[in-house]
Amino acid sequence: MERIAEWLHEKNPGLDGPIDVDEDLIEARLIDSMDFLEFIDLLEEISGDTIDLQEVTIDDFRTLSRVERRFLTPSGAAAAPGPATTG
Amino acid sequence: MSTTSSTALPDGGLKNPGPGLLTLDPVHTALLHGLDALLTGLAARLSAPEVVGPPLLSVEGLARLDYFRNFPHLGVSAGRFTPEALDGLAAGEDPGELPLRPTGHLLPSATCYGLLLSLEGRDVGEDGLRLSATGRCFRNETHYDGLRRLWGFHMREVLYLGTKQGAVEHLEKGAEFVRELAGLLGLELTRATADDPFYDRGGSRARLMALDPVKHEFSAPDGTAIASVNRHRNFFGERLDIRAGAEGPAYSACVAFGVERWVHAMILAHGTPEQALVRLRAARS
Repeated sequence: MERIAEWLHEKNPGLDGPIDVDEDLIEARLIDSMDFLEFIDLLEEISGDTIDLQEVTIDDFRTLSRVERRFLTPSGAAAAPGPATTG
Repeated sequence: MSTTSSTALPDGGLKNPGPGLLTLDPVHTALLHGLDALLTGLAARLSAPEVVGPPLLSVEGLARLDYFRNFPHLGVSAGRFTPEALDGLAAGEDPGELPLRPTGHLLPSATCYGLLLSLEGRDVGEDGLRLSATGRCFRNETHYDGLRRLWGFHMREVLYLGTKQGAVEHLEKGAEFVRELAGLLGLELTRATADDPFYDRGGSRARLMALDPVKHEFSAPDGTAIASVNRHRNFFGERLDIRAGAEGPAYSACVAFGVERWVHAMILAHGTPEQALVRLRAARS
């Protein structure tokens, strides 16, 4: 999750302090629509899985806690949540 | 505003200048003005004062709104003949062959851009601000089709800037108004999520919009979208430093009507322009 928080801060230099895990990233445009695919790339890189946009909903990306549950929590033998090695 | 049915037109009516360009005859003009007058009902209901937007928009302002990243193909540019061309023009040279210099301005492609740019740096307060305007808008299209797809057309918008919740309520009231008005005019409309006409349809913004639609359109039975409700989140508030008091960057939303398309939908529903006008007058009385 650290890399995601870092990315969000990089994209939103005006942000002070940590981002609440329940903050609405989409509605507050912390993930700007222009950067949405870059965010998907980042999640794919961290999780090591591809994300099929046909199989997700916007709510899967809405908050940090949802992102962690949906993409970064191992359902099988994937890596533990948290910072992952870069690819 | 009254029809000029007593005004005789020459045999064959009024010529249209070319694709996407129509000259409206008296009956179509009465429909256009009468429908726009009805559409102002939403502005009145929401206490949105009527304003007139600027006739040209600066490319610098539009660039800050990502206009060219999203819609590079739509922009109709305002050009000016170069000083060197003026003597030739005055001597009767073909204007179509002479060079134009960009003025740094585009004709508007939507009514709300000029209003939003005019609010840069303002604080609209937590109660928010509403404005309404009709403007002639221009879009380069790949094809033109009667009143349905024009190079230049009238777009009425009722714009809101304020809080996130205020934006939601604005669109709810706008959608309710569209349904009521359609009922009054005998129009059968269907509501569906819609895309903006992005140049890059596989790009980031288009993909996010597909997952989280921010635009809904109301369409006539032949598929012509005649009204839309649009939410912008806090995009314009951030880009233009428009604040909603302590709430920070303003959220915005607009209800938009393509007025010529309402004329088209009325004729579609009632058979002829004359019958459409009878129905419109009944609705307004």
